[in-house]
Amino acid sequence: MRRTLAALLLLTACSAPAPPRSAAPSPRPPGPATLAAPTGEHPVGTTVLHLTDASRPDPWNLDAKARELRVTLWYPSGRGEGERAAYMSPRESELTLTGSGAGGVPPDLLSRTVVHATTNAPAKGRFPLVVLSPGFTKPVSTLTSLAEDLASRGYVVAGVDHAYESYATTLADGEVAECLACDSDTDPGFGTGVVATRAADVSFVLDELLAREPALIDHTRIAMAGQSIGGASTLAAMAADRRIAAGVNLDGTTYARLPRGFARPFLFVGTPEHAPGGRDNSWDRDWKLLTGWKRWIVVTGTDHQSFTDLPQLQPALGLKPLPGAPSAARLAEITRTYVAAFLDEHLRSRPQPLWKGPSARYPEVTFQGAAPGPPSGTTDG
Amino acid sequence: MTRAVAAGLLLLLVVACTTPEPPRAQAGAPESTACAPPQGPPREQAPTTIDVVEQAYFCILDRYYRAPVMDPRDLLVAGFAALTRAMPEAPLSLPALTGDRRADWAAFETAYRKITDREDLAVVTLEAIVAALGDDHARWARDPGRPPGYYDGDGYGLGFQVAGDDPLFVSVVEGGAARKAGLRPGDVIENVGDPELLRPGYPDARPVELRLRRGDRRWSVTLTPGLYPRDPATLRTVQSRVIDDAVVYVQVRGFSPDAANRVFRAIARARAGRSVSGIVLDLRGNGGGSPAEATRLVSAFVHGKVTSYLCTVDERCEPGQTDDTVPLVGLPVVVLVDRGCASACEHFSSAVKDHGAGSLVGTRTAGLISGPAQPFLLRDNTLLSFPTRRHLGPNREVVDRIGVAPDHFVPPTPEDAAAGHDAALAKALTLLDG
Repeated sequence: MRRTLAALLLLTACSAPAPPRSAAPSPRPPGPATLAAPTGEHPVGTTVLHLTDASRPDPWNLDAKARELRVTLWYPSGRGEGERAAYMSPRESELTLTGSGAGGVPPDLLSRTVVHATTNAPAKGRFPLVVLSPGFTKPVSTLTSLAEDLASRGYVVAGVDHAYESYATTLADGEVAECLACDSDTDPGFGTGVVATRAADVSFVLDELLAREPALIDHTRIAMAGQSIGGASTLAAMAADRRIAAGVNLDGTTYARLPRGFARPFLFVGTPEHAPGGRDNSWDRDWKLLTGWKRWIVVTGTDHQSFTDLPQLQPALGLKPLPGAPSAARLAEITRTYVAAFLDEHLRSRPQPLWKGPSARYPEVTFQGAAPGPPSGTTDG
Repeated sequence: MTRAVAAGLLLLLVVACTTPEPPRAQAGAPESTACAPPQGPPREQAPTTIDVVEQAYFCILDRYYRAPVMDPRDLLVAGFAALTRAMPEAPLSLPALTGDRRADWAAFETAYRKITDREDLAVVTLEAIVAALGDDHARWARDPGRPPGYYDGDGYGLGFQVAGDDPLFVSVVEGGAARKAGLRPGDVIENVGDPELLRPGYPDARPVELRLRRGDRRWSVTLTPGLYPRDPATLRTVQSRVIDDAVVYVQVRGFSPDAANRVFRAIARARAGRSVSGIVLDLRGNGGGSPAEATRLVSAFVHGKVTSYLCTVDERCEPGQTDDTVPLVGLPVVVLVDRGCASACEHFSSAVKDHGAGSLVGTRTAGLISGPAQPFLLRDNTLLSFPTRRHLGPNREVVDRIGVAPDHFVPPTPEDAAAGHDAALAKALTLLDG
């Protein structure tokens, strides 16, 4: 009996599907990926800012007496201006691939990913601002597909690279900051510490952007979104900074203590593992503390990276999607559509039928938690 | 976080797939008494029944290193005594025990079943049997779960750390009840001698009364254990800084599975672009962890040596060698130790001391290193863990209950704590300077 049980356990463990992203690379991977085209009406410009917060030392690099952040702006621009932007540098590509354990592809492959934004394009008007914060170890360029789409729909997007929390961040002096924080990511309190750091990062970025770009950014309409620890940091940043009016968490376990009466709009977007009563109870805990507009949606067939660029990069990396996963194009559409609907609802005050409940157009999206508002029914959102 | 989770999953897979050793049921032993290491992720706990107590009893007798020289009756007497305390009204009496472990268990179980089938009493009985081993590395506990309202990094307890011997005093105020009551480092605790009484764990929420003295002022406070947030920066397992641009100071709070490499990276980064004269390894309060990591850390300071022995009770010993693939740091090292340095920390400290690989500064270590604890899965999906072999130092000396004496005795004092002065670190810097 006992032996059978043990044998069964071994069998289960050893024959479990190979860990998601490490399927054997196909012999001849196709060329670099081309990201899905933005769907909005505006062409997209992009530029990089290096911002240094001299008021605090870097929490990870003991030799850095100031906190340096790299901010990528995506914004609605004039048509036909500037050069096509790079996804990341060859060195960043190499470090990101090595750090992620992706082998068998040219080290500069990610840097050749084709994007749609152009550099040095003039900005066109004044728009609401969305801050983006990436997952741990990931450069913010892994959210480019979402960022470009939001910019094309009329948002200024500020993607923050939190130095030393990613495999590769090119700093102002050209040095590449590697993942020093990776050393301590198993320590107790690690997540709590990271989201507190990122909340401070974001407040500083807002100070700088609002001072530097008054003609581009509507300072009364600011939201934030993030994936994984970036999503957790969204709640932490909102708790610490009232300027952030609304937030989206893409599948991030949360860590910040929320103040009482936290009533600003918030959207949880999760994989099936992030359904109520799941293994991670942090969303259940926070859900009860959110007193304003809130939604908790779960997207069938998704995994933790489904809301990033990764599904679109997989073929180039010779990786196969998980069985049952929506296509990369579909994942991009769902992520872009729901995040934009949230921002349109709350930063532009344009009511979105998608929030009434399940939609026949997006049967993968299920509504969780006891959401306030009109009774849910299938609508044609 | 994904990274950590993925690493965890990977580890589980590796553990599962590289443990071909079949469950070590002794030939002829009944199924119910076999115990094996856990395989795969933990499963939901089931009720603890007398059958689980039976499994644990035979597991201890089969695998605990000292079992061959133990009288198994001692375990049953301890369990039965606990039962009588838990049921003062029951007409319990212990049947005659013969010294035959199976016959004695049968008699015990018959007596037990006559009285009760309450789960909490099986828990009390098993706790007493494990406690009867008198071994800090022998543990069994049902998982009490997380306190409600828990956030990653929170502490549970009275909110302060304690140092000193006689008297005890507050060394660090972390938060919670201690901060609310205005405790400060250096406050002397006059009415408690055992530091364990000041470290209640969840779900223990009984208030603790303290009589305190600060200089000439005396007062009392009652602190209630609870959950409190801590500064995440202070919780990093490995923290480092460079002192006076000359000495690398590395604090290691525990021997986590990557501790040694983290220390090596911290030292390498600190040495980059500067000339360093020595290293201070602060292991005060380091409660131990992985013996393999302790061995790797020793190996940065000495090669070709035995760091410890693991022995059966009849002195068949296996030496644990340094890992000579670890590059030598090549700098003098001073290790700060105190009575909070336990288990793997003492493994490290005894090896450094016995081989003269560095100097130890501070106070004697905990003396809590009976042997590396091996986990065994019981039928209620709880873990019983205890050493299957005992630990001896590099000179085959017993470290358990004795501890490792420092080369330089520098005890912490309330005055230093109040003034924020670290006398042991100051001594270490003097040694590295000379």
